[in-house]
Amino acid sequence: MKRLRGRFVKAPLLFLLVFMVFSLSLTRLPFYVSANDEASLAIGEADNALRQAFEAVLDAERAGANLSDLIVKLDEAGGLLAEAENAYRVGNFSEAISKADKCSMQADGVVGEALNLKGSALADAQKAVLQTLTFSWVGGAAFLAVLFLVWGWFKRVYAEKLMRMKPEVAVDAEA
Amino acid sequence: MLKLEDYKAVFASVGLICVLLFASPTLGLVLRLPGGEKFSELWVLGPGHMAEDYPFNVGADVNYLVYVGVGNHMGCSAYYVVYVKFRSQTESLPNATAGTPSLLPPLFEFRLFVEDGKSWEAPLRFSFSNVSFSENRSFVGSLMINDVTFNVDKSASWDVENNGYYYQLFMELWIYNVEFQAFEFHNRFVGLWLNMTGV
Repeated sequence: MKRLRGRFVKAPLLFLLVFMVFSLSLTRLPFYVSANDEASLAIGEADNALRQAFEAVLDAERAGANLSDLIVKLDEAGGLLAEAENAYRVGNFSEAISKADKCSMQADGVVGEALNLKGSALADAQKAVLQTLTFSWVGGAAFLAVLFLVWGWFKRVYAEKLMRMKPEVAVDAEA
Repeated sequence: MLKLEDYKAVFASVGLICVLLFASPTLGLVLRLPGGEKFSELWVLGPGHMAEDYPFNVGADVNYLVYVGVGNHMGCSAYYVVYVKFRSQTESLPNATAGTPSLLPPLFEFRLFVEDGKSWEAPLRFSFSNVSFSENRSFVGSLMINDVTFNVDKSASWDVENNGYYYQLFMELWIYNVEFQAFEFHNRFVGLWLNMTGV
C-alpha cells in the first residue's frame, strides 16, 4: 500500500520534472536562435555598410582624392567587422552584435566623408583640366604665332642676303 | 649655304616638336599608358619580423607569435580578407593551379584595406590546449588565435617519414571584387607546418 502510494506521488513529480525541463529547453531555444539571428543580421548589415563605404572610397580615389585618412578609418571598421565575425564563430553573439554595430556606424561615417572628398576632388580636377587646356591651347597658339613671325623675318633676311650675293665665276686653272 | 626649303623643314620640325610639348599636358589627360602587372603579396614573418625563427615544434599552452602581411600592387586601393585555417595532413589545402581555396571553414579572419603600393602587417598569436596523445595519434582540442579560442578537434597520426605529428596553420588571401560585389579567392596562401611535440 505504502509502495503504491509512493508510486502515485513519484509519477506526477517525475512528469512535472520532465515537463519543466522540456518547457525550459523550449524557452531557451528560441532565445538562442534569436541571439544567433540578431548577430547574423548585424554582421550582414555591417558587411554591406563596409562594402558600400569601400565602393564610395574607390569612387573618390578614381576622382583623384587623397584618401589616406579614410583608408585608416575603413581599416578600423574592417577590424571591427573581423572581430564580430570571430566572436560569432565562437558563439559570443553579444560581442558580435556590439562590434558589428560599431562597424556599421564607422562605415556610414566613411561614406559621407568619401562623398565630400569626391565632390571636392572632382571640382579640383575640373579646374586642373581647364588650366591644362588653357596652357596647351594658349601656349601652343602663341608659340605658332611667334614662329610664323620669325619665319617671315627669316625669309626676308634670307632673300636680302641672296640679293646681295655676287655671282662668282669659277676659273678652271687647268683648262 | 642651305636652301630656303631646308630652313623651312627645320622651322616646321622645331614648330611641331614645340607644339607637341605644349600639348603634352592635355595629351596626358586623354592618353593612358598601360600600367604594370597587378598583383598582391601575402607573407608570414617570424617573431622578429624576419623570415626566420618560425614556430615548428609546438606544444600545449605555449604562446607562439608570427606576423601576417599583405602588400597591394593592384593599381588602386583594395579590400582584403585573410582567413586563418588549421588542418591536419589529410585535410584539403588551397589549389594554386585551379585557383580554389581550401574547403575548410575559416577559424579566424583579418579584414583590411590597403592603398595601392602600401602594405599591412598584423601579429598572429596562437597557442594550443587540450592536446593529447594516444596510440600513434595526437589530438588537438582547442586553438587560441589572438585571444579567441576555437574548438578545432583535429587529430594527426604519426608521420613515419618526417617523424612527427604534423598540422598546418595557413592563411588564405581573398579580395573584394567591386564588379561582382563579392569576395573571391586571390590565389595567395602561406602556411606554417607545426609538429605537435608535447602536452
